[in-house]
Amino acid sequence: MSKAVWTAAAALAVFTIAVPAIAQSTATATVNVTVNVSARATLDLHGTNSVTFADADPDTTPSIAAPALTIDVKSRTSAASNVTLTVVSNQDLTSGSDVIGIANLTWTSTGTGFAAGTMNKTTAQTVGSWTGSGTRSGTVTLKLANSWAYNAGAYTATLTYTLTAP
Amino acid sequence: MRIRSVIVAAVFIGAAQASPALAQPQSATATMTVSVSTSAKLTISSSTLTFADANPDLVPQIAPAQGALSITAKARATDNAQVVLTVQADDDLRSGLQVIPASAITWTASGTGFASGTLSKTAPVTLGQWTGSGSRTGSQTLAFRNLWTYATGTYTCVLLYTLSGP
Repeated sequence: MSKAVWTAAAALAVFTIAVPAIAQSTATATVNVTVNVSARATLDLHGTNSVTFADADPDTTPSIAAPALTIDVKSRTSAASNVTLTVVSNQDLTSGSDVIGIANLTWTSTGTGFAAGTMNKTTAQTVGSWTGSGTRSGTVTLKLANSWAYNAGAYTATLTYTLTAP
Repeated sequence: MRIRSVIVAAVFIGAAQASPALAQPQSATATMTVSVSTSAKLTISSSTLTFADANPDLVPQIAPAQGALSITAKARATDNAQVVLTVQADDDLRSGLQVIPASAITWTASGTGFASGTLSKTAPVTLGQWTGSGSRTGSQTLAFRNLWTYATGTYTCVLLYTLSGP
């Protein structure tokens, strides 16, 4: 074997011995992660727990509007589940023995998924409906049909808003 | 008598051999070789992390039930070589068809050389970096970004921690 070949062989040997010293050392570990996301819902009327309709002349104000309610709806549900916001009145508008039919109370709305409707004391009416999880915000403006036929008085009823997220 | 003479002779020879004054100068060399190879060892205090459900409005960042991870990274490396600890998710957080991006998990860290970061499924993210050999201990506190938009479910993924030294 020529000197050049031996020199190359020696160089290769040195290189081979040096390899372990520069080899990368690695250690690994795994951690299993679990995140639980459960169904839940929150309904926020921004602190509004009373709505007042001021007296007005039925001829000039046939429909009395209350200040708009801002409603925030937050829900977590399965992806295809329906989220529904409903409202029902506990009674007709009542002042002693005088009554104004609750159907005289209607509402308009703004915001994606919110709907207009007419109040009912026996069946909950849909105020909004959506699909899946998320946060939704809208407004509801209650309006009372004004009539000369109403007896004077301070009429009251309680509205219950219910958010359902299965 | 013969036996006594043999014993005396043996004692004399032994005493002569044990006397430094009579010994010839001796010298010897021993070549000691210590082999130190590159290596790495990674220890993590828990192999599971569980994030419980919580109200996003009240707990926007959820800490795992196991608390902070205690991490020990030991490495033998060549002088001035970089030792790097990375973490990468095997996938996004998944619950059936539902997906929460791996980036919803972030962490803060304590300990020299440890760094905060955001989890990724596409590239390893540096959790710690040091120079040369040594044993380093720190803690990693993971957090899950809690949002209303997540669909309900039990989401999982696996975190791969890799300690590399040249």
